[in-house]
Amino acid sequence: MNGLLPNLIAFVLLLAIAAYSTAGGADFGAGIWDLLAGNSERGREARRLIDHAMAPVWEVNNVWLVLAIVLCWTGFPPLFEATFAGLYPLFALALVGLVLRGAFFAFRHVADDPRAHRAADLVFGLSSVLTPFFFAASLGAIASGRVGNASVLDASFNPMSIAFGLVSVAATAFMGASFLVGDARRYGATELVEYFSRRAAAAALVLIVVGTAALVTIALQAPDLVRSMLLGAGLPFALTTMVLTPVVAFLLWRGIFRWYRVLTVAAVGSLVFAWGFAQSPYVLPGKLTIAQAIAPNGTQVLLLWTAVAVLLLVVPSMGLLYYLDQRSALEPPQA
Amino acid sequence: MTSTLWLAGESALLPSRIQMAFTLATHVLLVPMGVALPALTLLMEGIGLARKDAVALRIARRWSVVMAVQFAVGAVTGTILSFEFGILWPRLMGRFGGALGLGFAIEGLAFFLEAIFIGIYLYGWERLRPRTHFLLGLALPPAGVLGTFSVLAANSFMNTPAGVTITNGVVTDVNVWAALFTPAEGYEFWHFFIALYMTAGFVVASVYAVAWLRGRRDHHQRLAFAIPFTVAAALTPVQLLVGDLSARALVQDQPAKFAAIELTWKTRDHNPEVIGGLIDPSGAVNLGISIPSLDSFLVGYSANAVVPGLTSFAANARPSIAEANIAHLAFDVMVGLGTAGALLAVWYFWVLLRRRRLPDSVWFYRLAALAGVGCYVAVEAGWVTTEVGRQPWIVYNLMRVADAVTTAPGSFVWTMLAALVVIYALIAYFFVYLLLRLAARWRRDDALGPSAPEEGAPYGPRPALRRAGP
Repeated sequence: MNGLLPNLIAFVLLLAIAAYSTAGGADFGAGIWDLLAGNSERGREARRLIDHAMAPVWEVNNVWLVLAIVLCWTGFPPLFEATFAGLYPLFALALVGLVLRGAFFAFRHVADDPRAHRAADLVFGLSSVLTPFFFAASLGAIASGRVGNASVLDASFNPMSIAFGLVSVAATAFMGASFLVGDARRYGATELVEYFSRRAAAAALVLIVVGTAALVTIALQAPDLVRSMLLGAGLPFALTTMVLTPVVAFLLWRGIFRWYRVLTVAAVGSLVFAWGFAQSPYVLPGKLTIAQAIAPNGTQVLLLWTAVAVLLLVVPSMGLLYYLDQRSALEPPQA
Repeated sequence: MTSTLWLAGESALLPSRIQMAFTLATHVLLVPMGVALPALTLLMEGIGLARKDAVALRIARRWSVVMAVQFAVGAVTGTILSFEFGILWPRLMGRFGGALGLGFAIEGLAFFLEAIFIGIYLYGWERLRPRTHFLLGLALPPAGVLGTFSVLAANSFMNTPAGVTITNGVVTDVNVWAALFTPAEGYEFWHFFIALYMTAGFVVASVYAVAWLRGRRDHHQRLAFAIPFTVAAALTPVQLLVGDLSARALVQDQPAKFAAIELTWKTRDHNPEVIGGLIDPSGAVNLGISIPSLDSFLVGYSANAVVPGLTSFAANARPSIAEANIAHLAFDVMVGLGTAGALLAVWYFWVLLRRRRLPDSVWFYRLAALAGVGCYVAVEAGWVTTEVGRQPWIVYNLMRVADAVTTAPGSFVWTMLAALVVIYALIAYFFVYLLLRLAARWRRDDALGPSAPEEGAPYGPRPALRRAGP
């Protein structure tokens, strides 16, 4: 068997991570803006929109994460073992954040007491910042080449993992604001369109600054990776992010509401691909390649068929869900 | 040695086992409604459409709200489980991920479909044509079957591993079909799948049994009680049969587990069936009721049938005394509750078929109200039986639990466990509070007139965006 199938499965894994970063990112990003919306009085309008925008799809987004985990342990068992054995503090923190976020999102809908409501907002918002930070930090830790080569603490918390974490928070905020612009437009909330356009443009600028700082960090910590990002397989994706982020900022700043959401997804998704392609064929730099980590052939074939089934079944039904979501928002049955 | 040093050096085995048991025990409570409530809801909707019964449609719509809230909680506890495979048992997945993971990969697909179609179903009320809504909902039960099948494929692999070629401790080849359809999958799937439908039926019916006891006697109460109760009651005798076949299969597939659940010390014929009771380290059984030769008879239809005993296995390859006692008592609880459920089902069908009406005895409804809780206890007990009975193995005869556990310090896992207990308590509180609030509002609607059933639920169709202020 040649290397096509393992590479294809690695690509599907990267795709699932990218899907979670973008679809999940829009969700977490909304949580970040919820946190930054100010006190109960000032933030009321923004929070109402965020609530409205998030309710229907958040558990569907969660599925991308589960899919990535399952693909990792089934397709690349040694990678899964080494990553979790080496970085368990990061995953535990991300997990706690994820659960708190889900629980308190539901709770703020039922909290009657204003103080409890405010506390729920706070937990929800903070966990929306911390969860993407720790997830992305684990990718940074992998990229640093420390997994399995350094102590757990050193592998988990180092300049690379922190740089990846910060980039992800900026990208998530960018993603969230850009999609909230769309939601505000859909509901015809004019002030909120402007409110989130300004924030999306600002987040794009922050992403450019943080991204540049991260690139310098990677250059110092893992020169091979940066070389591959800027001169190798990662280049097309790195370029896509570098070009599209300011373009989206410009569009929203000028109030041109065309293509901005697609471009935001492309910009944020490309970040993930830039890392993944730059690191390939290694899944753990300098230690483990795709070919070394891949599960036996029978497993690969089943995984590929499952991926095809996801494509054929899930994509159209997801389209239907989003279609109904849009329609229901426009035509409430009670009206 | 100071206590902190002791903690730092302590193995993570004990807290990891507790954490896995705690999170799995919680998740398994959410599974019956996740898998089987959609089918009951569709049945109710189908009845509503066929008979043009607005009450049945209203019941179905309310159940769909409960379904969605419950699914969201289950999605969270399920996500936690998937991380725990890595955080607590990295070496299990490192060695067997390529085979054990197959089921989970298919489950990923099923989970995806369920998440999407629950959304569609919830949104579709009044927005889709009734027939289209019903037909789209029909995607949910098969997705539940697929999910149940695949998760149990993974569990069955742990009980009766097959389809893997192991060279020097590394899985070098996987035969996908053999690894998915291991010997235990045949009975584990049917046993658990039926248990899910029974539990969902009895639990839903128990809510309306309580309503009956509180004096509610209308079409709404009768319909919402009778449909789920009939489904569950009809399945109960089937379950006794499947359960019997499962226990019998253990004699071949996992004899040490069978010895533990029957508290058999030495391999022998004329083996008694022990009900209740505890075994001590010398192999003597105390406090139980012992029925001579019955176990041998149940295993081989003859008092001369030989039944495996614990001492036929090395002490480090069989459940410990404490584990054997836990598995045995859990098994007895499960069988006892199953039998009680079957008797209740006989009572129900006796009245239904002889008198052509629902029972009207207060005692019947008291027992029906308890049947829901009884099912949850039985599901937990069955799960304890299979998991504790497999000890000390995580993959039967191939990998021990102690060899799969993380190298993280015990203090780390204890801390995580404490955090999870607090978070789960919060989630449980929110969940129950929300359900009670929905129930109270629906009761009010029944008295005063309708509003949309989804109002007040965190997931579901939303009304138009209302501006702030009065």
